[in-house]
Amino acid sequence: MTTWVKSLLAAAAALGLGLWATAALLANGGPFETLRLGAWEVAANAGAADADPYARAALARSGEIPLALGEGLQMVARVDDAGRALNARCVYRIGPRTPPARYWTLELVDRKGFAIENPAGRYVFRSSEILREGDGSFSIWVSAAVHAGNWLPIGAPARFALVLRLYDSPLSAASGAIQKTSAPAVVRESCA
Amino acid sequence: MNFRARYAEAAFYATLAIILAILTHFVAVLTMPLVAERDAYSRLAKLGGPNETVELAQTSPVSRGFPYADPAVATAFCRFDLANGPVRVRAPIGRAGFASLSVHTRRGAVVYAITDRAATHGYMEAVVANAAQLRALVAEDDEDNPSEDLRIVSPTNEGFVLTRVLSELPDLYGEAEAQAKALDCAAEPSGK
Repeated sequence: MTTWVKSLLAAAAALGLGLWATAALLANGGPFETLRLGAWEVAANAGAADADPYARAALARSGEIPLALGEGLQMVARVDDAGRALNARCVYRIGPRTPPARYWTLELVDRKGFAIENPAGRYVFRSSEILREGDGSFSIWVSAAVHAGNWLPIGAPARFALVLRLYDSPLSAASGAIQKTSAPAVVRESCA
Repeated sequence: MNFRARYAEAAFYATLAIILAILTHFVAVLTMPLVAERDAYSRLAKLGGPNETVELAQTSPVSRGFPYADPAVATAFCRFDLANGPVRVRAPIGRAGFASLSVHTRRGAVVYAITDRAATHGYMEAVVANAAQLRALVAEDDEDNPSEDLRIVSPTNEGFVLTRVLSELPDLYGEAEAQAKALDCAAEPSGK
């Protein structure tokens, strides 16, 4: 092999590797400014004017319109509290409380951030519609099979994520005031 | 070629490939917002012209509009182009649980956002202008009768305004939609 051929091969490998690394890093919103709260990830700066280049590139790629800092916060859980990837064959309990917010919603989405079809037609729970205990605490059950109480169905046997949006929350990911204790638990109850 | 020389050559090409891969990665990340064709603004531009209020379809498994959009939230937007002068945006508040108005640049970054808590006289209202237009507006201000407008400076001439209206219950989504659709964006008469 001549030097030219080897160089070309190296360049081609580099191009592939570079683009692959880019796609992999951007798939989750970029490597920076992600805060972890138990099972939840908060893209701290996605909705800020001074978002880092990775966050901006991730937004350009996904087409997502982020929540602004003044509107609220979005948290995404791809794992349970023990760090295990969310599995469509398991039953999860989310609760009992959320960080302070005027309203919140909990949605189940696929890997690209879209709701997953399910026979119950239930894709999201609002804080204003769920059943609660007398003390205001709640449990939302995430499972493929029908569950009593607040049931958020897993529509397909594929990877999924949970999205918690806090509207009009005094918390800001940038301020660091978020307390770990206030994020709802994502507990794996059982697996089929 | 002895073993040592071959090893050195392989290491050389591997290093070359890694350096090129890192370069590729940085170039890809930095150019992504400039070349993306599926970013939020490009997609919104296909849905409506400047100052035209367009409602976004409720996100669902069949209507996969914008990723991580909340199915509980009705959304409407209008694009603006400040080359033709400042734009006044107005969104009514109503019975809905939560409503917000946010201003985004051409690149999707959030410039500013207010919620219904900051509404006056039943409206969330702001004048979006570029830096030069803001100076002109300030120069026109009557000192004895100061303007009550909230003025938002957009770093880019093109951008969009979005209103989000949360429905407290699934049955109230239609009401939230009606409120979102009442977003109004109009050229602001400035100067004499």
